[in-house]
Amino acid sequence: MNSHDVQSDGGLYEARQKIYPREISGRFQRLRTIAAWVLLGIYYLLPWIQWNGRQAVLFDLPERKFHIFGLTLWPQDFFFLTWLLVIAALSLFFFTALAGRLFCGYACPQTVWTEAFLWMERKTEGTRSQQMKLSKAPWSAEKLLRKGAKQFLWITFALWTGFTFVGYFTPIVELAGKIASFSTGTWETFWVLFYGGATYLNAGYMREQVCKYMCPYARFQSAMFDRDTLIITYDEARGEPRGARKKGSDYKAKGLGDCVSCTMCVQVCPTGIDIRQGLQYECIACAACIDACDEVMDKVGYPRGLVRYDTQHGLDGERRRILRPRTIVYGTLLALLITGFAVTLTSRNLVGVDVIRDRNALYRERADGLIENVYNLKIVNKDDQAHEFRISGEGIPGLIVDYLGPTVYVASGQVQSIPVRVQVPGGSLQGGADVVIRIESVPAGLTASSKARFIAPVN
Amino acid sequence: MDPQTEDYTGQRRWPRLWQDVAIVTWPSFLVAAVATMICFAFIDPVLIGNDDYPPPAFASRMTGYAVGFFFFWLISALSSLLTLYLARTEKPGPPGTALPDQRERNSQ
Repeated sequence: MNSHDVQSDGGLYEARQKIYPREISGRFQRLRTIAAWVLLGIYYLLPWIQWNGRQAVLFDLPERKFHIFGLTLWPQDFFFLTWLLVIAALSLFFFTALAGRLFCGYACPQTVWTEAFLWMERKTEGTRSQQMKLSKAPWSAEKLLRKGAKQFLWITFALWTGFTFVGYFTPIVELAGKIASFSTGTWETFWVLFYGGATYLNAGYMREQVCKYMCPYARFQSAMFDRDTLIITYDEARGEPRGARKKGSDYKAKGLGDCVSCTMCVQVCPTGIDIRQGLQYECIACAACIDACDEVMDKVGYPRGLVRYDTQHGLDGERRRILRPRTIVYGTLLALLITGFAVTLTSRNLVGVDVIRDRNALYRERADGLIENVYNLKIVNKDDQAHEFRISGEGIPGLIVDYLGPTVYVASGQVQSIPVRVQVPGGSLQGGADVVIRIESVPAGLTASSKARFIAPVN
Repeated sequence: MDPQTEDYTGQRRWPRLWQDVAIVTWPSFLVAAVATMICFAFIDPVLIGNDDYPPPAFASRMTGYAVGFFFFWLISALSSLLTLYLARTEKPGPPGTALPDQRERNSQ
């Protein structure tokens, strides 16, 4: 990069030189743009989708319930979330081993939002060279207007991002209404500003520095790489020795390789590295250098692919392998985990019961000779529809469960508290015994049970 | 090699202080997010201390979550800070091992 290509942005990070990546078009950039549109589209639109009269995806923290379309997850289902995180981590390993840092270049929120912010910067401040000229120019009406427009777009977009983020945790339609009438709660306001502010800083200013200094994945992904991992690479054997040449000249006679030393690959790089120096951990695999080089190769009439997606083995002219122990192990584990997750999730019990002993009395000896323990039942209905439950018990001969029946109504997604008296004939046990309290929905037949301790006097 | 591209690499580094702030606050932020998730999956903040006396610790769940998150962030940031301090103030090792800074440069 030329020395005039970098300059201090004079703001938050005084000593760092701002990178102005040159805009580039090409097949991989088209793919990345599509990926960004799809991902941002999902992010911004998903909270607005309704499902059965409520927000389809709502991580309802105040109510401690997660709704994901027809699925409702409770704190007790935390296990599924953990499982999902393990699957996500393993997927990352698998795809990294297979295709390198695809995630970084196409799907990482840091990349996607940075792209969006870069786009706004270009719309307001112009091309790379116009931006650099503008930064160096003294303040003028035009500079103020352009910089102001950029800040306006950035801040609006960042605030909208923060608003959408909070909309995943609190119903977004209500939230929009509250914002329109300036009546949002303290925490809602705080998190909108917090997330919006983080977006603004990360995508507007920190950009590639996040990948370089803050991202753990960038550092440990090399552990998942092998010589068959797809990487973005410069074909050194073909390109070197690099050098400028006249068009149509017999460069091979002069001992030159295919690299015309135009530095386009460096100018388009959002992290400011030179791909020709080999694989570097700063590389986020955005493929901008591939598109840039292909364009140049087309212009000078050389075959494409001097910079390309390839594996180390491919580069060395050896056989490329997709199936290898590493990918087989990751792939098998991943398939097992996903299958297990799906099976467990679909077959999980949609109703549940917790039995809590009444704290006031251990037991009561009734006038009619029965011994009574009082419990508080919490019946959970995780199903999409309401259910009527019958309660029964077992564990001690002659045990009766007395409650306000004959059935207990529990609405969809609700927890119903109900006091029950468990009675056994006097003298049927000494001290205590375990009893099982069972609930059964009628007529659906969903059942759940829970153990409890029954306490009786010792005679 | 092309001299145009050679002299820029060292230039675009964050100043040390910014790197330090970033590598203390960011990993601890990630860890705090996970810790908050685990903690509040098992504990309902409005039930903390919610007996007849003392009154509940948090007025609302959202307050509980937020306070919990920043508490975890603070604690893990302190841990990151100490780790960083120890790594940065390490004495040069025996012959053959490098200073922390040189190691950093060599591994790139």
